[in-house]
Amino acid sequence: MGFSMKNRTPIAVILTTASLCFAALPDRVLGQELNAEAKSKEAVEARNKRNAQIFQNNASILTFLDRYGKPTGQIGERAIYEAAALSPDGKRVATIKDDLENESADLWVFDVATGRATRFTTSARTEFADSPIWSPDSGRLAYTAMRKGQEGIYIRAATGQGAEELLYKNPGAFMNLTDWSSDGRFLSFAISDIKGGALYILPLEGGPERKAIEIFHSDLRVLWPRFSPDGRYLSYVMLDKANRREVFVRPSDPAVHEGPWQISDGSFRSAYWVHGGKELYYVGRDRSIMAAEVSTSPSFSFRKPRIVFRQQVAVPDTLMYINRDGERFLVLPPALGQQLQQISIFNREGKVVKKVGDPALYSNPAFSPDGHRLLVVQNEIKTGQEDLWVLDIETAKATRITDDTRIKATPMWSPDGNYIFYTALLDGDWPVYRKAADGTGKEELLFRYTPGAFVALSDISPDGKFLVCDSGNVILLVPLAVSDPAARKPIDYLRDEFDDEAGRVSPDGRFIAYRSDEVKPERFEVYVRPFDAARPVAEDKKWQVSKDGVFGSEPFQGPITMLHWRGDGKEIFFRGQELDSNDLVMMASDVETTPAFRAGSPKVLFRLPGPIDGNVGAVSRDGQRFVLAINVPADKTAQSSESK
Amino acid sequence: MISRARLLGLLLLAFAALLASQANAHHNMTAVFDFNDRVTFTGTLTAVDWRNPHTYFTVEVKGAGGAIESWQSEGPAPSFFRIRDVGKADFEASVGKTVTVEVSRARDKSRFGLIRTFTLSNGKIVSACPQNC
Repeated sequence: MGFSMKNRTPIAVILTTASLCFAALPDRVLGQELNAEAKSKEAVEARNKRNAQIFQNNASILTFLDRYGKPTGQIGERAIYEAAALSPDGKRVATIKDDLENESADLWVFDVATGRATRFTTSARTEFADSPIWSPDSGRLAYTAMRKGQEGIYIRAATGQGAEELLYKNPGAFMNLTDWSSDGRFLSFAISDIKGGALYILPLEGGPERKAIEIFHSDLRVLWPRFSPDGRYLSYVMLDKANRREVFVRPSDPAVHEGPWQISDGSFRSAYWVHGGKELYYVGRDRSIMAAEVSTSPSFSFRKPRIVFRQQVAVPDTLMYINRDGERFLVLPPALGQQLQQISIFNREGKVVKKVGDPALYSNPAFSPDGHRLLVVQNEIKTGQEDLWVLDIETAKATRITDDTRIKATPMWSPDGNYIFYTALLDGDWPVYRKAADGTGKEELLFRYTPGAFVALSDISPDGKFLVCDSGNVILLVPLAVSDPAARKPIDYLRDEFDDEAGRVSPDGRFIAYRSDEVKPERFEVYVRPFDAARPVAEDKKWQVSKDGVFGSEPFQGPITMLHWRGDGKEIFFRGQELDSNDLVMMASDVETTPAFRAGSPKVLFRLPGPIDGNVGAVSRDGQRFVLAINVPADKTAQSSESK
Repeated sequence: MISRARLLGLLLLAFAALLASQANAHHNMTAVFDFNDRVTFTGTLTAVDWRNPHTYFTVEVKGAGGAIESWQSEGPAPSFFRIRDVGKADFEASVGKTVTVEVSRARDKSRFGLIRTFTLSNGKIVSACPQNC
């Protein structure tokens, strides 16, 4: 027995340890294939139905736009695409396409003229290919792939003939391979994690021991390094701690001390050198295609960016690639088409009783405790921000709560209606904050968990003494009695071998409802357990409330939880599991909490055609009204804060 | 367990690598572990802690001077194994026996790491990648 340690410089370790690991794994390892239960007919059918819903809600068709933003054609079938790159000769498109059933993604190449598709990779379950880039002569493709737990850069003839060649092994994962230099000698990639990021170039000369050259590293994350046509500069995108993205340019030679130059004033995706390096195109924060006139000789210089075109739609397409001629743009239109959301209030029969405001990109509507206001998340295309707003139900008057670029999640009202609680991604963490519900005053930090941990806020106890949070499928309670936020330590209310989440405290503070997949993997049910604030750890005693599953077995339904107690504690609402359609099925169970807990049989209140996101706070305290953001066809003039 | 591919498809505006690791765990892997610092150790598996949000395995390893050192390794969540072809019983069957573990070491250089591969006492290899890579 013994151990060996390999603690060297990163590049040396990349080459040494990666090769050891790669060589050590046999063809088949445990942990990637499903077990017998997961392969049962019932489980496979349920998984297939969930995958069909995911596909329906996320698949789109690659579409070409011209330099005016007008669609000129489509290519390939409807699919969930992760990446796309047009060959320099304009004849083929390399794409990464998801395989939901296999939990993998693979490289496909489409012929632009004929639409014929050629599959380039076949990944094992849970593994993937990513980041295709073309050689300058369009004769070869490079891409990253995860194989037997080892990520590497591979290269292959663009005809699909012949074997692929492994160019480089990465010790971690999620290399952001981006570009191939015009002289054909280098590849560029970025690696970023919570500690920051670095830009690299990889010389293609040499053999398997070739070493990547670090160009630049930062404590901020960096993405998408692209060579200027003369190879002297790299454009890239840097993300600050609040998720704001900007396009920068710096020399590709780390020995040259010039720049960097910030080109953009808000950006979304990669930048592209076009017109022989005379312009740099990128997506502005409002999703307009922007162009900066640039020069790389004798040194780099640029002029103020101008708009190339602004998409004349309410919900912009996702840019996938810009051709070097600046004439062709590959985009993915929204999977569900041009749809905004109308905030709508329903009664217990599922009839609309009130529409609030005009359609916009809304999500997560939640009733205030007094039932007169709504908390909503609005995605504003013009600012590139997602912010929290409070709407008056009668007048639709809007009050802004946040105004920044952070991603916000799990917003909710305080029990007294005076504050808005929420989480916001900052520097890799998800701290919990609160801010006054009238929009005044400063944001107050309430709780910060393990660095980098995702925390979903699921409730605030009725007495305001505890936050209820989900993290890692554990239900946590955070005592707020401790005055110093840094000293607030979470208590494990429920930590199991299976997934427990979405804890909601009963109005009398004596129980917590939650959902769990303890009986069957990938199938959640609602349970209730006693809660004692003096000893806030779950007892073994529990009661099952739902019978036929609840919405939420797909992990990304996780934060969007509809599980509610009526204000008098006599009814529990939840969203039923519906595998055969996107419909929202609102369920209710009569319950009693005194002298002991008892739950009646769940019944369907109403069914609405989906897709519709549910939300914490979607049910009014009296249990008579339900607020949802309903998809409606977009009027291209209706978007954003113009409605306020 | 969510796949990276599915994750990316649903969160186009999010930073992929960051969120990919966050969605699977209660902490960001790269915040705690250095993926460029790999360690492989062989020893006796003495404990299995099988609970959310991660599994933990304790291995007693004979160091260079003959002293016994205790290494802790972190594996995927139990829910990952519930639908996979390897489970709790496979690990528990290796308790008291010799196992080999390859980890990405903790950034604080303690005897703690994130599992990449775990060779059970029967010689079967469990891969925690790509979840832990």
